[in-house]
Amino acid sequence: MPPIERYITEATLEVFATMIFIDIIPGEPLKGQDDGIDSNLTSMIGLAGDLQGVLAVHCPETAALGITGAMLGMDVAAIDDDVRDAIGEIANMVAGGLKVALAENDIATELAIPTTVLGKAVRTSGQAGVSRFIVPFASPVGDFGIELQYVLH
Amino acid sequence: MAKNVLLVDDSSTMRKIVSRSLRQAGLDFGDIYEAGDGLEALDVLEKEAVDIVLSDINMPNMNGIEFLREKSGRDGIKDIPVFMISTETGDDIIGEAKSLGAVGALKKPFTPDKVNEVLGPFM
Repeated sequence: MPPIERYITEATLEVFATMIFIDIIPGEPLKGQDDGIDSNLTSMIGLAGDLQGVLAVHCPETAALGITGAMLGMDVAAIDDDVRDAIGEIANMVAGGLKVALAENDIATELAIPTTVLGKAVRTSGQAGVSRFIVPFASPVGDFGIELQYVLH
Repeated sequence: MAKNVLLVDDSSTMRKIVSRSLRQAGLDFGDIYEAGDGLEALDVLEKEAVDIVLSDINMPNMNGIEFLREKSGRDGIKDIPVFMISTETGDDIIGEAKSLGAVGALKKPFTPDKVNEVLGPFM
């Protein structure tokens, strides 16, 4: 099976190419939390089954506003329900892409409902022994990152 | 003749995004109605002239599967075609939806071209 980081990168590229229409450039996956992204908004979605964990989309305000504006086809000036929902939907779609890729390797997962948190530099934490990484992405509206912490059974 | 569409999703943002994709697909849509869950969707179907329904699966109050089940028992609306929109791609959930009358599914993320391909035959 390819590294899970690759599935996250490919799923994110597909989401942005098909529904957001912003060119994004993936960076090298980073182990741990020091991604250098000054996040203001984080959307998280739980994963259960053979792979358990949390997928999180970390966005600075400018990136969150720019991405939401591109998704809706309109200017978005401040973080509101649309922004929270839009970034949550990105978490949902990336996790859905990961679910499909894992299923092709006979790894069954189920997705929870996304939750969005506002706050500076929010990071998730799990029990000892989990694996975690962040894939950083560069975009014209600002950098953002997608983090996965997980245990594979 | 333009087709009236009902979008069913608990996220108003997602309804806006899907509505935008429908417009971009180049198909001849008329009015686009919205509902936040299956219960609201049934209410809209009873009141408005809807030709096609696009429905999420995971929703509060009445989810997409429960909506299909309830709709299939109502004579006036049971034949209106429903397409499921979801990140769920498992044969089990889509198979269950189709067994309850769903005629197709759009997997998120999707392009306007994909919308055209899936919905085009029903326009």
